Amino acid sequence: MIRRALLALCLALPFAAQAGAPVALTAEDVPALLKPPAHGVRVLALWGLDCAYCESNLQALQKLQRTHPREIELIAVATDSVAESAALEQRLHAAGVDMLPSRAYADATPERINYLIDPNWGGELPRTLIIRADGSRKGISGQLTPEKLATIP
Amino acid sequence: MRLALTLLFGLAASAAAAHDMAGMPMPKGPDLGASAALDGKGRLWVVDAADGHVRLRHSDDFGRTLSAPVPVNAQAEPIYAEGENRPKIAFGAKGELYVSWSQPHARPWTGFVRFARSTDNGEHFSAPLTVHHDRAEITHRFDAMAVDSKGRIVMAWIDKRDLEAATAKGKPYQGAAIYTSVSSDGGNSFSAERKLADETCECCRIALASTPQGEIAAFYRSIFGDNIRDHAYAVLHADGRPLEPQRATFDDWHIAGCPHHGPGLAIGADGVRHAVWYEAKDKPAIHYGQLDPGKAPAHLQTIATAGASHADVAASGKQVWVVWNQVNAQGFALMLRESRDGGASFGEAREIANQKGAAAAPQLLLWQHRAFVAWNTAGGFRVVPTEAL
Repeated sequence: MIRRALLALCLALPFAAQAGAPVALTAEDVPALLKPPAHGVRVLALWGLDCAYCESNLQALQKLQRTHPREIELIAVATDSVAESAALEQRLHAAGVDMLPSRAYADATPERINYLIDPNWGGELPRTLIIRADGSRKGISGQLTPEKLATIP
Repeated sequence: MRLALTLLFGLAASAAAAHDMAGMPMPKGPDLGASAALDGKGRLWVVDAADGHVRLRHSDDFGRTLSAPVPVNAQAEPIYAEGENRPKIAFGAKGELYVSWSQPHARPWTGFVRFARSTDNGEHFSAPLTVHHDRAEITHRFDAMAVDSKGRIVMAWIDKRDLEAATAKGKPYQGAAIYTSVSSDGGNSFSAERKLADETCECCRIALASTPQGEIAAFYRSIFGDNIRDHAYAVLHADGRPLEPQRATFDDWHIAGCPHHGPGLAIGADGVRHAVWYEAKDKPAIHYGQLDPGKAPAHLQTIATAGASHADVAASGKQVWVVWNQVNAQGFALMLRESRDGGASFGEAREIANQKGAAAAPQLLLWQHRAFVAWNTAGGFRVVPTEAL
């Protein structure tokens, strides 16, 4: 019994680490993240550890993405430092959104990354940036209402 | 002199890359959250946090050189020192030094408000005490502190006990509450806390300032209707009179989220309530206005737009100063706008300092009718004069 549990744990660990670990996002990485997708929409779900609305927003976006898997590319972007990976992963895992591609800021000045991602964003969270294949972008602050979610696909 | 003691500076900030695990830089340096205040003799006092200690430093040359740090809490403990959450310092009527901070707990967003005092000019501090009587592991953080004209220490903080109670009963509750407590014995003890308001923003600093009557007033981001995050104003009567918060800004910014962007307040000797605040209903903006609680502010004007954050305000006679951080692709500029007509109009924005690395929110300090800006940056703590060179 114990051996089986250990085996399961060993199998699960590398997978869990891979699924949730946020990849560092530097200032130099921002242009690629903002590049319009070939088709459909790329959605950046900006979130943070000190944000009571962020996990539920990520969950709503994940649900939407799963109903439109071909149209929506969803990326969770933490505005906290990638040095806080363990806490970020744990929070994503607890919210059941740890399968999403995940990034976290890697800059001594997080506000600078905010500015590079969207100069018309003051850092309030959650923030959803919708980037369409035609190059248009739209940023929405706060938890998305069903009406706003419906405008994404 | 204005009690700017609750205003602040801080931002989750990081200095150089700390370590390198997967070939990627992982910057996470010291948090820059700090507060500064000038005492009656012109000595500058600064509190910030390092290695689990709130530390106190002072300067007799307006920040050019700082003393060796004195630990406020002898025993290390977790300390919030980032963003809108940072240690505070205030002076007692007899030169006592009062220091408060928020202590994070294990569960997300939880914390306790802590307090310690020194009666020997900052050489030693009392063992820290927890200000609130409620000891549930929930949110009690974003402490704000000021001393009224009778020497009473007035504390206010964001508190989620009512949210927890409502959630347990399956009832809706937006945001958090603000509670307040008073010490009338120089910080030996604090009264049982009183609720100032239900359904307030859960992540924005509370601004405090003293009124001409010597009481302490609070200006804070509240919630009206369905997540309209405008601000409210209330005098925190220390004598038990009812607390009567009133809506004081009317931007109608709807956001079910965390602005992490609290306001600033300075009350002139004439009673004019100079206020600055952030909202992003259409685009990000910092506004100035003179609060007329219950009605729209007078002399309402937009001070700065996109990229501007964490403004502070100070007033002396007809002079009003507003400072803020302006982020750009390189880093931060410290910006200033001045009014010479009591806030009716402001001059053009002027850059008075800049910083490539992280910078905490600026804090205005008044000294003999002159204004200085305390600015904690990755490059060190600075005091920036506001006069044009």
